[in-house]
Amino acid sequence: MPTGDLVLAMFGSGGDGVVTMGEMMAQAGAKDGLDVMRVEAYGPQIRGGESSCTVRLSNQPIYTQGDEVEVVVVFNWQDFLRFKGELVVAQDAVILYEESDTTPLEDVGLSLGEEARWIPVPFIALAKEAAGTTLAKNIVTLGILSEAFGVPQALIEKAIVYKFSKKKAAVLEANIKGYKAGIEWGADIKDRVTDRYLEYEPGEARLLMSGNDASAVGALHAGCRFFAGYPITPSSEVLHFLSEWMPKVGGSIIQTEDELSAMGAIIGGSFAGVKSMTATSGPGLALMTEMLGLASMAEIPVVIIDVQRGGPSTGLPTKSEQSDLFQALWGSHGDAPRVVLAPADVEDCFHATVAAFNIAEEAQMPVIVLSDQFIAQRRETMSPWSLKHEVVDRVRPTDEELAEGGYERYADTPTGISPMTWPGIKGGEYQTNGLEHTEDGRPTSMYLVHERMNEKRYRKLRDVRAKYSYVRKYGAEKADVGILCWGSSKGPVKEAVMRAEAAGQKVSAFVPQVLYPFPRREFEEYLKTVKNVVVVEISYSAQFYKYLKTFLDLPSDTFVFKRSGGKNLTVAEVEEKIQKVLELSAIRREVLV
Amino acid sequence: MSAVEMIQLKPGDYKTDLKPVWCPGCGDYGVLNALYRSLAKLQIEPWNTVVMSGIGCSSRLPGYVDTYGFNSVHGRALTLATGVKSARPELTVITVGGDGDGMAIGGNHFIHSCRRNMDITYILMHNEIYGLTKGQVAPTTPTGDKTKSTFYGNPEAALDPCELAISTGATWVGRGFAGDMKFLVPLMTEAIAHHGFSFLNVMSPCVTFRGDDQFKVMKEKLQNLPEDHDVTSRRAAIYYTREEGVITQGVLYNTQQPSLTDRILELRELTLGDNTPPTTEEIFETFYPPF
Repeated sequence: MPTGDLVLAMFGSGGDGVVTMGEMMAQAGAKDGLDVMRVEAYGPQIRGGESSCTVRLSNQPIYTQGDEVEVVVVFNWQDFLRFKGELVVAQDAVILYEESDTTPLEDVGLSLGEEARWIPVPFIALAKEAAGTTLAKNIVTLGILSEAFGVPQALIEKAIVYKFSKKKAAVLEANIKGYKAGIEWGADIKDRVTDRYLEYEPGEARLLMSGNDASAVGALHAGCRFFAGYPITPSSEVLHFLSEWMPKVGGSIIQTEDELSAMGAIIGGSFAGVKSMTATSGPGLALMTEMLGLASMAEIPVVIIDVQRGGPSTGLPTKSEQSDLFQALWGSHGDAPRVVLAPADVEDCFHATVAAFNIAEEAQMPVIVLSDQFIAQRRETMSPWSLKHEVVDRVRPTDEELAEGGYERYADTPTGISPMTWPGIKGGEYQTNGLEHTEDGRPTSMYLVHERMNEKRYRKLRDVRAKYSYVRKYGAEKADVGILCWGSSKGPVKEAVMRAEAAGQKVSAFVPQVLYPFPRREFEEYLKTVKNVVVVEISYSAQFYKYLKTFLDLPSDTFVFKRSGGKNLTVAEVEEKIQKVLELSAIRREVLV
Repeated sequence: MSAVEMIQLKPGDYKTDLKPVWCPGCGDYGVLNALYRSLAKLQIEPWNTVVMSGIGCSSRLPGYVDTYGFNSVHGRALTLATGVKSARPELTVITVGGDGDGMAIGGNHFIHSCRRNMDITYILMHNEIYGLTKGQVAPTTPTGDKTKSTFYGNPEAALDPCELAISTGATWVGRGFAGDMKFLVPLMTEAIAHHGFSFLNVMSPCVTFRGDDQFKVMKEKLQNLPEDHDVTSRRAAIYYTREEGVITQGVLYNTQQPSLTDRILELRELTLGDNTPPTTEEIFETFYPPF
């Protein structure tokens, strides 16, 4: 029986072309209308070192990278072993491994079922023989995968032609020979792997984007015309993308000397009337936190994308974690209002970024978008029709209003939102500062003014909560288990909920996309619909659970599933916790009876 | 009345009604007055101008100038100025601050601002001390001087802001004295009019924490640059930043180099020009598989 959903993973050293191979497969799949997700993982090395790439191709909508790898390509067992703790190989997987690697299979420590197929492949020899270079072994592999596993063959060939079309004709020719040799070799094993043959109806070509791409395009869509940033993994792709596109849309971009400067620059840019953004990761946000308070105090709209990675300190720079939550929510000297949004997948990165600009411009305060490496650096297919989002622009007082006089930049209005001018607007000149100030912006240290202006600045969050209470709910209307999670955990949680429902269990999930101000009413309503609550998060100290407890009445017997980052959350993990909660709550009820 | 009404702006037109917080006799009054006069001389439109600062006594200055103004965070004024100028290259951007703000906590931003050579003017009020925090040592305090934080005398060497500016890429560097308005006003006017990063170091005495004779001491050391000084020579300029026992005033360095502001505009012209900017849909198109 062929399959409609295939998860492949490839392991090698830098230079083995593992990532290129994954990219070509993902593009071929997207071109043929499949749902695709591609996840890369690296060691922290600059060049060389181990790298891996997982590609899931499916004829159904997918929300995760796939729990179990069904086809494994190993160029080198040593590289494979470095990723071992991070992946689960299916019991009946197909393992294609380099024939000349002499590592004894018992040392690999993969205990698979009887049904597993261990197939030694002469990747190196085939590449040398057909293409004249071992460099082509990834192309040979693509031949094998396309013939034996149904990875779109004609499109892979197109991808190869495209990739090598700028090189010498001989290089292209050699690679095509390698590809054909792979196809030929693959034909011989086809009969042994028929259950892993991908079968589907081709459809419309899809977009293939990463979360960082989506954030960058979201910024341009929202009208961002100034970006300042400092390189940091895993957010730098936003800087890279915008360095090409910002001038093309008539904007400016600058790579600053540090994150302090990036934050200062976007506050300056926005003060000057231009929608401005930066992107960073946890250590960078730490530096930006200094001037986050300035943006709150001077009421300057800015957008900060924090692509979280493992921390603290340099931590795990290339791997995901959800542990910047407290820093984003509370990181500040003084009481500094801000809004925190949490995209949950690639498409969300687009929407959250546009929403961040809309909120920032309306409420005149910093908005942090808490993305993470898991969604920011993976590639997903998307449909263009889903990528629409209304844009809100900054409102200025009219010339007539300014001519009437009495313009006060920090006027205390019922919503807390004051009129705002910017350079170029005659009659709107004002002097602002990071000192506490009166309604006309004059510095003051008076307690009464400080109390009143704090209240004014926080009052702006009321409108934000009323207008932007984005939450997602999945699963049963009345559930035995309700899962609370945020951000990139959504994918595995959603899939686990769907599987549980299919198995007749009553499970649901609540995923807020606005973390601050918290969509409290929606949350309280949700809690009424669930018997048991479990919080799922990738933070060792359970920041999300603690955050929820700060404001809200969580049931006293709330379960918490939390762990460190460094390994992406899987559906199986979530399913296991659901079962555990069901069992434990049954025991609890027994006791109570 | 003619169709276009020309209003001549006078120095007083740039004043806000906020009273400076500075001590009587502070050099910063001189800098502020020179700024009013320079702005009027250049007839700079207040609504197209931003005056930026960090934190310190002198950083209160933007509150006293009736343009757009921003008294920001300690050491970070140039980062905001860089943002304003990048986002809105047509604006006049003037940054002001003290030597602690600019050379210590803001030192990194200073050297990179010089290097980028954006069309920004940076006026440093140099008093060799921290005034707002009441008298601690600054990176510009002479070795051996007793301050509140150097009980046994300053054990460190001082840096010269002009020397640093010249060596890191500022294209206009000058030094003046807050007590010599006749000399300072034309100098400041030239700094603001310069295309590129202009750095004006104004010796601005702190009569409270450097002794009420700092005015006199500085004035005595004041010496004009020789008439034959070659302002395009980096070597000559640096030489005059470090003269022993004297404070050389005048235009130390003045060259024209490509400014980052120009590059930003050129890049826009090159990539966009008169074309309509791409729509979001067109940007999304680039994410389809390319074959």
